[in-house]
Amino acid sequence: MATESPTRRGGDTESKRSGTSSAVTTWLENLSEAQFAYLLLTPAFLLLGVIAFWPLLSTMQLSLYADNLGAARIGAFVGIENYVALFTGEKDALMPSPFLPSELSVDAFFGSALTVTLLFTVIAVTFETIIGFGQALVLDKEFPGRRWVRVAIIIPWAVPIVVQGMIFYLLFNPNIGLVVGTQQNPTFLQEIGVFSLTPLANSVDATMIVIVADIWKTSAFMALLILAGLQSIDRNLYDVARVSGASPWQRFRYITLPLILPTVLIAMLFRTIQSMRVFGVIESTIGSSGCTTVPSLSCLVVTTFNNNLLGTSAAVAVVTAGIIALGVSVYIVGYARSEMV
Amino acid sequence: MSTDDNPFDGPDKELKRGPFQQWVENSIKNPQQVYRAMLYVVTIFFVVTTLFPFYWLLVLALTPGDRISQAGLAPAGFNPEIFLTIFEQVPFLRYMFNSIFLALTTTIIVLLLASLAGYVFGRLEFRGRGPLMLLVLAISYFPPAAFFLPLWDLFNGNVAIFGISSPSLYNTPGSMLLPFSALFMPLSIFILTTFYAQIPDGLEDAARIEGTTRLGALFRIIVPLSAPGVATAGVLTFIAVYNEFFFSFLMTDGRAQNWAPIVGGILQFQRAGQFQTTYNAMAAASIIAVLPVTILVVVAQEKIVSGLTSGALKE
Repeated sequence: MATESPTRRGGDTESKRSGTSSAVTTWLENLSEAQFAYLLLTPAFLLLGVIAFWPLLSTMQLSLYADNLGAARIGAFVGIENYVALFTGEKDALMPSPFLPSELSVDAFFGSALTVTLLFTVIAVTFETIIGFGQALVLDKEFPGRRWVRVAIIIPWAVPIVVQGMIFYLLFNPNIGLVVGTQQNPTFLQEIGVFSLTPLANSVDATMIVIVADIWKTSAFMALLILAGLQSIDRNLYDVARVSGASPWQRFRYITLPLILPTVLIAMLFRTIQSMRVFGVIESTIGSSGCTTVPSLSCLVVTTFNNNLLGTSAAVAVVTAGIIALGVSVYIVGYARSEMV
Repeated sequence: MSTDDNPFDGPDKELKRGPFQQWVENSIKNPQQVYRAMLYVVTIFFVVTTLFPFYWLLVLALTPGDRISQAGLAPAGFNPEIFLTIFEQVPFLRYMFNSIFLALTTTIIVLLLASLAGYVFGRLEFRGRGPLMLLVLAISYFPPAAFFLPLWDLFNGNVAIFGISSPSLYNTPGSMLLPFSALFMPLSIFILTTFYAQIPDGLEDAARIEGTTRLGALFRIIVPLSAPGVATAGVLTFIAVYNEFFFSFLMTDGRAQNWAPIVGGILQFQRAGQFQTTYNAMAAASIIAVLPVTILVVVAQEKIVSGLTSGALKE
């Protein structure tokens, strides 16, 4: 508290001003540092309290009450029954899409909220990491026009989700026929069986299209984080390695890779959190039936809400957050290990 | 390759070589050149894959609606009027205005609140600093769906406090401004905390000795000195709000007069009629919707890069 005495003097000079503003100023100046800190945090925490913390607690509370399709929108307190129903599949008949697959088939896996979200996340994050790493390695080099290449690579990241959806809706639209065509006029990809004749209505195809759309948009985010990590590596290490006769591959394998691993894990963590909440790109790429064709967890929250299954909807939201937390803890363990090595 | 060389074994071997063999020979002597070539090939691949979808949008937009199935890699026809027609078919200008208004207002709210919070976390020592920061960080991890049900009730007047029901904000800017501000604020708080913490204490102390008040020191010394950080946080917040889908889609009925942003406008083209004639309008509307953020990325790319990396990596 070395600033305590100038504070007081400062307050005195300011108090020459008259009126309430000087009273407020004096009051502010006489607060302790902690009191001042809490005062400045009040507006932010007021907003977060009402719009973030309260809804979270309220969602958790709501998930413990039964669905009620009548006038009273919330039924009796049922404890964890909604959660049990999700995992046992009791309510599958009522819900727009099941939470877990009812049988071990490809269609069931792509048609259930939990499995389709996990498939989406694992495939999308894997490809985004590889492509983002490649983009970062390119941007790490010096070459003419690098600034514009960087703009080109960042732009998809800045595209509104609804436009991203529209782009891939148009690319994969059979009536337009660039990537996929109609029955009379199928494209090469359909003839070899990669896509069915109605890819936007088929869960497996639609999931793949949404994954491609996600990779296109968010690899840039990976690239920027990994690039920052690459540029923080001490260049002298490479000079030493070169003098000792290390090949480019060895320099990459023994210098770049271990030093960049923690950054890559953090970038993957961020992308995993974001992928697990996927919603908008599904709704806009596939059209109004998107959330039943590719029923991600966030989609299931919205579709059950639209069917007035509020307790179930809240339970799905809480489970989504719980599954993300599990994913986060896997990365934290991985990160702690990579830091130790 | 070596078999090709055999007939020319002799003194004039060097002269008879084709350009390809010469290139191979050069590359073996000078691998740097190969790496360079590979770098360019990979760079071109990345640029083409990221930019091709935009080119495809342009092709579709310029192709007249009734010839859309004939559009290939070049437009089948030339119909630039579509960029005007879309403003007549739906109130697209109003949708654009709504989006930009929501993004700017959220940015202002976030910068004001996050400046105060970032100053506190970055420069003041007090009990509870760590736990409070963790609390802020925790918000950015929850999916929007986890906030949705109670906020829906709150904004539809279904929540009563002391007998007074909450204001009905559905179909007003408030139903989006509030969630946007709360959920995008954590990133700005972290960016600004980093920036504010880097300003030397001496500058603030000097101002205080000169008789500046605490708030005066914050807004006249600290904020101007961390202008790059404030700009970074502002640009990222603007882009995040402009791109947002979840609340933009669910908190209005999608009509322009009810403050729906471009999400509503573009989905209206997609869902109003799945007729072939609307594909070119959808493409044209998408191009117009992308323009503001594209300009922002070109102008502020350094800020975006530094903001994303400091917000994500330093904490």
